[in-house]
Amino acid sequence: MRTNRIQQLLCTLALLSGWLGWNNPVTAAPLFTLEIKNHLFYPAELVVPANTKVKLLVINHDPTPEEFESYELNREKVILGNSKAVIFIGPLAPGEYPYFGEFNMSTALGKIIAR
Amino acid sequence: MLLNAVIIVLREALEAGILISVLLTISRQADLSSRWLLIAMAGGLLGAALYAYFLGDISTWFDYVGQEVINAGLQFGLFFSLAGVCVLLSLRPPMVKTRHRQWLTALLAVAVILASIREGSEILVFFIGFLAQSDVFLKAMTSGFIGLMIGVSVGALCYYALMSLPQPVCRRVQLILLVLLAGGMVAQASQLLVQADWLPAAEPLWDSSRWLSESSLFGQLLYATFGYEASPTPVEVALYLAAIVSIPLLLLCVRNLPEK
Repeated sequence: MRTNRIQQLLCTLALLSGWLGWNNPVTAAPLFTLEIKNHLFYPAELVVPANTKVKLLVINHDPTPEEFESYELNREKVILGNSKAVIFIGPLAPGEYPYFGEFNMSTALGKIIAR
Repeated sequence: MLLNAVIIVLREALEAGILISVLLTISRQADLSSRWLLIAMAGGLLGAALYAYFLGDISTWFDYVGQEVINAGLQFGLFFSLAGVCVLLSLRPPMVKTRHRQWLTALLAVAVILASIREGSEILVFFIGFLAQSDVFLKAMTSGFIGLMIGVSVGALCYYALMSLPQPVCRRVQLILLVLLAGGMVAQASQLLVQADWLPAAEPLWDSSRWLSESSLFGQLLYATFGYEASPTPVEVALYLAAIVSIPLLLLCVRNLPEK
């Protein structure tokens, strides 16, 4: 009796998590790379597919740390010097999403374009 | 002066300053010695230094999303310690037992330690970047100091504003602030877990950036204190609502406990 109830609960949880999109290896997010050199982002304009979750790999070639930040994308992450970081973004509606390097705001500017 | 350094330090100092000022008014009204604050600040700074030092390793954890996971953990820890503080403040009859006061001191200290680690480490990482450039390092340090002092002043203003309220009103405002601050922690944590792909990503439920942009001064202040997000995803909104509803519910349960 009790085992039955636990099984029921587990099944419901499994269904619920499936519905919420967890444990869904079929749709691996496409990977895009951004590089930081001399406090500049390359490419400064990155085109990604709209309405899709995207995995962003940010490689910092500078010896100094940088912070990837975007109000439009709701993202904020420190990338130490000579290291890399992964940031998941989207799914984004078609449009332009500016971002900047918070530690070098005057030069490190760019935008993600969702198409 | 480096405006950048002022802003970065100010943002973090505001976040910690407002939280600490509210906790300090609670400590003062409960007649606790302020020694816990000094110990917690020292502990928090040490923690922030360790976190900044090991950030390179931590960043590679969980397939390069270690930063998000650890930061979210710190934020959830803050949520639970603030919820605990709310419970202790709402005990009927008002807490008199030494045991309760020890718990309150411990929870206040934990909250300050977690907040200092989270905010302090980011400031440290920013300044480590300047260590190599000795010519601008001093400039960055003085600019950072100005940012820190503005943050401390806002915190002090908060403290005295709260202390000037009549006690029953003050208690109510403290509880409301604690619930909103705790909710903000959960909002920020859930956003980090979405960023790490640990929580499901989705298109934002709404976009209020036209009315109140997150990059505006007021938007920044609201983000720092209550986790304001102009375009939140469904899971962020759900967790935020669950967080700010759960504390009042918990308090109702505590108040209805039979008196011992």
